[in-house]
Amino acid sequence: MTKIGWHEKWTLRFAVVALIWLAINGFEGILMRTQLSAPGALHGVEAALNLLRPVGREPSSAEVFYSMLTAHPICGIYGFAYMSVMGAFYFLVPFLLKKEIRHKSLVPLNFWLQTVSVFVAWGAGFFLLFDSLYTLYWPLPVSYDRVPLVGSIVFAVGAAGIMVNILLFSFNIFSTVLSKSNPHSYSLGQFLRSAFGIAQLRKRLGRDKEDDPQPDFGSLPVFVVSVARGSVDTVINAVVLLTAGALILVYGLAVLFHVPLNPAAVNALVYKNWFWWGLDMVADGNVLIYSAGVWYLLVPLLVGRKLYGEAVVRAVILADLLVSLGVWSHHLLADRPQPLVMRLLSGQLITWGEFFTMGLTIFVSLYTIWLARPVKLTPPLKFVLGSIFGFLMGGAAGLIQANVGLNLVLHNTQWVISTHAHTMLLSGLGMLIFAVIYALIPMMTKLEIRSRWLVNVHFWAWIVGSTVMAWAMGLAGIQGMLRRTLYPLPNQYEPHMVVALAGGILIAVGFLAFLVNIIGTLGWGNVFGLVVPERRSQPQASGTAA
Amino acid sequence: MEKEERIWFGVLILVFLVFNIVTLSPLVPWQQWLLWSSPTPTQRVAIEFENYEIKLPPNGDVLSASKGIQVKAGEFVEFTATSRDVTYGLGAFRPDGTMAFQMQVIPGYQNRLVWKFDTPGMYDVRSTEYSGPRHSEMLVKNAIQVMP
Repeated sequence: MTKIGWHEKWTLRFAVVALIWLAINGFEGILMRTQLSAPGALHGVEAALNLLRPVGREPSSAEVFYSMLTAHPICGIYGFAYMSVMGAFYFLVPFLLKKEIRHKSLVPLNFWLQTVSVFVAWGAGFFLLFDSLYTLYWPLPVSYDRVPLVGSIVFAVGAAGIMVNILLFSFNIFSTVLSKSNPHSYSLGQFLRSAFGIAQLRKRLGRDKEDDPQPDFGSLPVFVVSVARGSVDTVINAVVLLTAGALILVYGLAVLFHVPLNPAAVNALVYKNWFWWGLDMVADGNVLIYSAGVWYLLVPLLVGRKLYGEAVVRAVILADLLVSLGVWSHHLLADRPQPLVMRLLSGQLITWGEFFTMGLTIFVSLYTIWLARPVKLTPPLKFVLGSIFGFLMGGAAGLIQANVGLNLVLHNTQWVISTHAHTMLLSGLGMLIFAVIYALIPMMTKLEIRSRWLVNVHFWAWIVGSTVMAWAMGLAGIQGMLRRTLYPLPNQYEPHMVVALAGGILIAVGFLAFLVNIIGTLGWGNVFGLVVPERRSQPQASGTAA
Repeated sequence: MEKEERIWFGVLILVFLVFNIVTLSPLVPWQQWLLWSSPTPTQRVAIEFENYEIKLPPNGDVLSASKGIQVKAGEFVEFTATSRDVTYGLGAFRPDGTMAFQMQVIPGYQNRLVWKFDTPGMYDVRSTEYSGPRHSEMLVKNAIQVMP
């Protein structure tokens, strides 16, 4: 059995829980696909799951469907994606900077707080039938004739826990990046000025001296620059969603204590702008910046060549951060009271900024691979290419819908959630996370991935399944099928939904191949070693895997 | 910026210009009146949303299948939608199920959209935004009759 070091063990623990959430996420996805293609087939499953639900009545199929739809992105984003990111960054940032995590005690705290908080928020939907959806459009989450009061309060508590944990994680990452990297200590203001490129700009304009003690993003590895700048979006996202969660919690507790507040006191459109501005820091902020950072890290590592055009890459990351602050209105293109100038600029034209930043990022990554020919198509490189394919396809779909004209017939259709969102998440982000896992396991454990055949099964089942599912749903969307809507049978979209279900099952096959391969690689002893409580001892230094 | 990057950046700019010019132009038919002109509607239709119901004119009652909003093809109609509780969506769907147009119905606002139907026929109205577990029931078949 390989001895796995302290950092590596925590990274793997994050990965294990992330994969459990992905499995739950996939299970929910299959159930919802089934509900849309053959509703009657789920009565038995519904009855069994209802036994676990402490709601004192038998919920309708619609309540179960929509509460699952609410829980689904919570475990997908904050369970799978965020836990993967936390685990990977807690290994990679100190590894690349050759220094320790600044606050080691926060690592297990982050792990447990994220695990428990995601479970609480997800459970509010899955078990307590909180069915406001992740969009939380005001005043739906406090309309207690439509959503359950207890579920709403529990969801807000769980969401607040997640956001506080993300802030703690970001604090630890910032602290680690900035600690000892310079003999001086930095204020938050200095860090932000540097993150937004203002410090460098002032030096170029001669306003500050070249040796001015600012945090120097120019000297950090590109991946770390991405982590730091992406984490600015992460923090904004957490703060904004924390305020939304707190608002829902206050309204819920007020009802609980018989002093109900007036929902109309909050302007629904202002709230929607605030909420999407923050939420979009994930979709159009840290996902893109972190993903770019991982490509910048993995591609040179995997092909053994320096990243092409690194100077431009640093500017692109900064541009990505700036663009991400101004694109949220593409979620409000169908809101006629939203000023036209906002819809046109923020909703459409600034959104195209991502076309340039991601276009250059993908070009740089692919051109680096091209220049490194001949390259060995290793498992992580294969999945890196798959993720680029996913971001290309999902990004193109996103630009089509983020359009003041075309959004009129695409908004809230299956196109939006499948051809764009699920493609970005499953084909793009999902395959990138798998690439990281395939790359990190040998780095951390000195163990080679056991079966190439299973890697290929995983790759092809995942990419074909996610593409088939995305396009089946997307074509239904073009033909008028709405997302978040149950259609009684018979309906014209049944064939699309059956094909989408088949795509979902193919994804599940790929995931199983991956699990079998990873467990086979690590060995049951190491896998159990991740969950067996370790003796209290001083954490070992990074890179102690033997 | 290296030569290859400059070339690629040029390609990106070209795609950006072509796509946005085309989609903002009247080549997308409804951009003619939503973006490039402010036509005076010949008819105004007020629709209210409340408690999972779509209340259509003339009396604000839930419309029966035998009645309908009658509009003429080729004329501009202004739809005004209001909500008395949560956010809904107003969507008009052609007989083949495809969407003609939609807008969000934000509570506390007069949500307006001018539309010109090209093709005569019966159109369904459906709420396009999730408003609670009964959202899927918010469908009025044959709500709009577009006459030649």
